[in-house]
Amino acid sequence: MATVQTDQVTLTVNGQSVTVPKGTLILDAAKKVGIDIPIFCSHPKMAPVAVCRMCLVEVEKMPKLQPACAVYVAEGMVVKTTTEQVNKYQKGVLEFLLINHPLDCPICDKGGECPLQDQTYQYGPGASRYQFDKAHFDKSVPLSDKIVLDRERCILCWRCTRFSEEISGERELALIQRGVHTIIGTFNDEPAQSAYQGNWTEICPVGALTSRQYRFISRPWDLDRTPSVCPGCSMGCNIQIDARNNKIGRFQSRENVAVDDSWLCDFGRYSFPNFQRQSQERPRIRRGGRLEDVSYDEAIAFTVDGLKRAGGQAAGWASPADTNEELLLFRRLFRDVLRSPHLDHRSATVVDAEPGDMTLSIADIERLEHVVLLGGQEVIDAAPVLHLRLFKSQRKGVTVLKVGAGQVAEAVAGVSPDCTAVGILATEANKAAAVDLQTKLQRKIKGSVRRLIVTTGPNGRGAKDLGILPHLGPGYVALNGQAGTGRTEWPGAGLRALYVHESSPLHGFTPTDAESMWLPTVPLLVFHRFKPSPLDEMAHVILPGHAFTEKDGTVTNMEGRVQRIRKGIDAAWVREDWLVFQEIANQLGASWSYESVGQITSDLVRGLPPYMAVNQEARVLWSERP
Amino acid sequence: MGIKPLLTKDFATENLKQLAVYEKTGGYTGFKKALEMQPDALVDLVKASGLRGRGGAGFPTGNKWSFLPKGMYPRYLVCNADESEPGCFKDRYLMENSPHQVLEGILIASYAIGCNLAFIYIRGEYLPQTEALEAAIDEARQAGYLGKNVLGKGYDLDVILHRGAGAYICGEETAMLTSLEGYRGEPRLKPPFPAVKGLYGKPTVVNNVETVCNLPHIVLNGADWFKAIGTPTGSGTRLWCMSGHVNRPGNYEMENGTPIRELIEEHGGGVWKNRKLKAFQPGGASMMVLLPEHLDVGLDFDAIAKAGSLAGAGAMVVMDETTCMVDAARRYVKFFEHESCGKCTPCREGTYWMANIFDRFEGGEAKVGDIDLLLDIGYNIDGRSFCPLGDASTWFPRSVIKFFRDEFQEHISEKGCPFKKSVQEAVA
Amino acid sequence: MPLAKPTVTQIQELAARYPSKQSAIIPALWAVQHEQGYVTDAAMSEIAQHLGLPPSLIEATASFYSMFLTRPEGRHDVVICVNAPCMLRGADEMAAYLERQLGVRDGATTSDGAITWHSTIECLGACGGAPMMQVDHRFEENLTPERIDAIIERLRTDPLPGPPHKGEGVEAPTPNKGEDVAQPKKPARPRARKN
Ligand SMILES: Cc1cc2nc3c(=O)[nH]c(=O)nc-3n(C[C@H](O)[C@H](O)[C@H](O)COP(=O)(O)O)c2cc1C
Ligand code: SF4
Ligand code: SF4
Ligand code: SF4
Ligand code: FES
Ligand code: FES
Repeated sequence: MATVQTDQVTLTVNGQSVTVPKGTLILDAAKKVGIDIPIFCSHPKMAPVAVCRMCLVEVEKMPKLQPACAVYVAEGMVVKTTTEQVNKYQKGVLEFLLINHPLDCPICDKGGECPLQDQTYQYGPGASRYQFDKAHFDKSVPLSDKIVLDRERCILCWRCTRFSEEISGERELALIQRGVHTIIGTFNDEPAQSAYQGNWTEICPVGALTSRQYRFISRPWDLDRTPSVCPGCSMGCNIQIDARNNKIGRFQSRENVAVDDSWLCDFGRYSFPNFQRQSQERPRIRRGGRLEDVSYDEAIAFTVDGLKRAGGQAAGWASPADTNEELLLFRRLFRDVLRSPHLDHRSATVVDAEPGDMTLSIADIERLEHVVLLGGQEVIDAAPVLHLRLFKSQRKGVTVLKVGAGQVAEAVAGVSPDCTAVGILATEANKAAAVDLQTKLQRKIKGSVRRLIVTTGPNGRGAKDLGILPHLGPGYVALNGQAGTGRTEWPGAGLRALYVHESSPLHGFTPTDAESMWLPTVPLLVFHRFKPSPLDEMAHVILPGHAFTEKDGTVTNMEGRVQRIRKGIDAAWVREDWLVFQEIANQLGASWSYESVGQITSDLVRGLPPYMAVNQEARVLWSERP
Repeated sequence: MGIKPLLTKDFATENLKQLAVYEKTGGYTGFKKALEMQPDALVDLVKASGLRGRGGAGFPTGNKWSFLPKGMYPRYLVCNADESEPGCFKDRYLMENSPHQVLEGILIASYAIGCNLAFIYIRGEYLPQTEALEAAIDEARQAGYLGKNVLGKGYDLDVILHRGAGAYICGEETAMLTSLEGYRGEPRLKPPFPAVKGLYGKPTVVNNVETVCNLPHIVLNGADWFKAIGTPTGSGTRLWCMSGHVNRPGNYEMENGTPIRELIEEHGGGVWKNRKLKAFQPGGASMMVLLPEHLDVGLDFDAIAKAGSLAGAGAMVVMDETTCMVDAARRYVKFFEHESCGKCTPCREGTYWMANIFDRFEGGEAKVGDIDLLLDIGYNIDGRSFCPLGDASTWFPRSVIKFFRDEFQEHISEKGCPFKKSVQEAVA
Repeated sequence: MPLAKPTVTQIQELAARYPSKQSAIIPALWAVQHEQGYVTDAAMSEIAQHLGLPPSLIEATASFYSMFLTRPEGRHDVVICVNAPCMLRGADEMAAYLERQLGVRDGATTSDGAITWHSTIECLGACGGAPMMQVDHRFEENLTPERIDAIIERLRTDPLPGPPHKGEGVEAPTPNKGEDVAQPKKPARPRARKN
């Protein structure tokens, strides 16, 4: 068919022909045919500013060199990126950047992953022709308790200030003074308040903005990098665990446009010290009131013994930071082996979860016309990176309405009847109000109304999907007549054993007052956990387990996206948590024979087909349940 | 050819600043006539007149107006009164002598482009001129030239006088808009051009003070009358700001095409102290130096460009035989270093580096390689900078190296400035 | 020192005048400088508050422009241009003369608090009357040593501060008494270049 494709443009870059959509930058068109143009200021998430001038290329018929990061392709354009003129100029820009740059790479945290260092090596001038003192600026300005700024290293690429303006909207970082005196800073050098400061360190193309936590701890080339998911909250931002000598050095972002859009919040990013192992621990059991070290086998036997006695009177609490694979086995241990319905992953009783809680995806927020933040800042606090998505949406023209949880009427009034797409965001605690608002809005407007309930913990959604609830089985099926009790009902429910499984200190089992009084009376308290906590004092068995950062598996974020987490730290002396579950189950009469996490995942998908989504790291779509 | 007072013809009239006096000289009749015309006809008239912008680039004014996208409102007019180009003082002269002429020009331009809110961006240093304009705006508002329903013709217009605060770069039109929006005066990427996406993201025209001052006269006398003055590609007159080593420095309104020689020798009274002419610089700090052999070049955009410099904003800096060209270039380079907004690498770092090298020449510590180093730095800045300020910072010094390389050499061999008389000596 | 009522009112009026309140930043800074003589961090915070903008934005803008002062100056402000067109007509000599007569360095304030002077490379738009200076923002052209002497004499004996004070009912700022005579003008922040 001879249709004219008007939205495609063909050009040549260094003689290679490339066809790209209209509105593509020369930089990206070149990348498509494998031609890298050096850049500093350009950033894929920010509007082009063309300030560093590193990316200048020759474009036929244009008298001056053109910034590839800011000029859009045109039909028949002829771009040359390696001519003598371009090469000479690239050297020139690097030379300019270096005249006032300290080049203290050996003591710079960015050393080894610094675009300036790399490009100086690749394109740069040889010996310096600059024979004057370099401009001196403050070298160590604490921008906050998290970030330190070295003004000498700053090459004024504007990425951090643009982040502050375009991405987080906080407008906290600014350019101050002008010309060669220009510096980056906060107002009056007051401490930065932003909840997203770590991102500044990642986008800074030099070692000007660095994390205080990471300072000089490691060199980039010494790092083991593991792709995983942030343990911070139910947003499920993708991370890379950078470790050295089996110790976590930092969490870095890992772009997933559907989830994090390549950003992390500081709460998540700087949560890694919580996952640092202090020592090698062994299982312990309480004998004669005292905890003593034993082998795993001994501790397991002890546990089995107690659980056998408790039977249907045993309760299980698995943390919302456990993997789906762990949760599957945990559920089967209780429901199938012990025949106990008393399962929970929550810390409080909340309105029932249901698939309708995630009819809105994170990325779709951008495509709404109106979004209501029911509970206001509280929703953001529960999943900080949501704010960045909301701000991006706002810049695209989406109206964001922040109201208190009780202000359903105001929220309804704030949406006009001809609205075509409305979204509601709320925390679990305000789900009832969210449903109420949704019903009312649905009646008022002609378009669609969807909601997204922010769950608790990096796998709170998975725990619900898999039925770690007293009254729902996997896939939200009601346990007709077989419902058990939930966590808040446990004190006083006459339970004979409690098994607590906890993978993250951020989402642990923190006893309430009532629980603190009840727990010492429970005949058996098994505490299978990563990090010591006050609960140790009451436990009869302590089973060391792996942290969120130490295991393979999958977790499901608030919107139902199933993503893989991977072992970033190897704590080999700790027995795999799923293996411990399997051994307990088998000693209680089951005959499980999983040999790997992968096998459990397969089983999980078999039993719960919507979890097929795991293969694409996509969202679980319950409506398409067979 | 020669002196041709058009904008300045009534400047001898006493109290021309006052509305009543200005009206007596024919003031605001141009605007009244314009109000009787269709805006499109006005745009066509200005196009036909061949008026080119007097702010520096010489872009045809009528064409600029016609680039505004149809049907997009509001539109803004910003009158560029930031005059900061070293060597230029013509807009100041126009504003302080006849603020109403400036205002009348703004009214005509606003009406022609369909703008209801116009701005005058005046440099912060021009306080007396700000006061003159302020008073004129008040008078005009009272007389019904400004406000709702201007002169009962159903057209609304207000003017905001916005005072800058010391930044040469804000004369560049996009930086001016950024500054007017309250930000740091940093230039913006083009495209989009201000005509499409200017002030507050709306279609905007930026016109220089002298440009708009031409409008009342064009409206009154017609395009043909205006086209008959000057050269085929440069209609009308220009104010030339003569300074430096001449006997009678000051503003001279000359018909375009008049030989430079006439300006300097006749009206300026020639080089002072009976000395010989060494060089002159048209356009302002940004522009390239010319030599006595160029004296017969006409005062005209195209003619001066052909001679290897640019008419720019109408400066004419005259330098006699005692001038140290290295020092002159040093001052300009230091000016650009001071005024670089810092947005782009080549200009921010390059002007700083060049200034350091020039100081080294001045201090007698320059090395042989420094001349070529300057040229090379210039090459790396020119055409690579974000805006013309960076590019222009290299033009004068490079042209000086081209014509006066031996002076640089002498600074090296004599370890200092061969021209320098002791400052103390001169003062005492 | 909090801003005076009339200044605050003026800032609020300015904000309403422009299509965007952000455009009122520079006029607001002028209003503050007219009232207090210079612009402090506290004043910038206050502007931010009245305009409903982040304070970093005010500082970013204020620090970009060379005319906003960051510390108190003398009653009168004398600026002499030394760019090339002025240099050609003897600006360096006049600057040297001025320095000698005032007895303080470029950028400093005389010990009686009367005059702060500095040279500038920014052309002030009076090259036709060079050598020139701006005295309290008024042009003084065709300078000679005698004219400079007369101007200094006038300024020293003028007890009132020079620059315009437009805010009605606003008291004139307390001028610098020459305490920090040795301190050069301009940078208040660790501005940088130390060479
Ligand atoms: C660095 C720089 C400084 C400028 N300064 C001025 C100025 O002070 N006044 C002015 O009218 N135009 C100045 N211009 C030119 C303006 O950008 C713009 O072209 C002009 O105001 C348009 O008006 P016109 O078409 O009437 O000339 C400057 C340009 C540059 C690049
Ligand atoms: S601190 Fe880093 S990101 Fe910010 S402008 Fe400087 S170099 Fe760029
Ligand atoms: S929003 Fe949640 S998942 Fe994302 S970085 Fe922050 S804590 Fe981690
Ligand atoms: S060339 Fe660059 S640094 Fe210089 S004034 Fe223009 S934008 Fe600013
Ligand atoms: S990457 Fe294009 S100018 Fe900076
Ligand atoms: S150069 Fe001094 S006023 Fe123009």
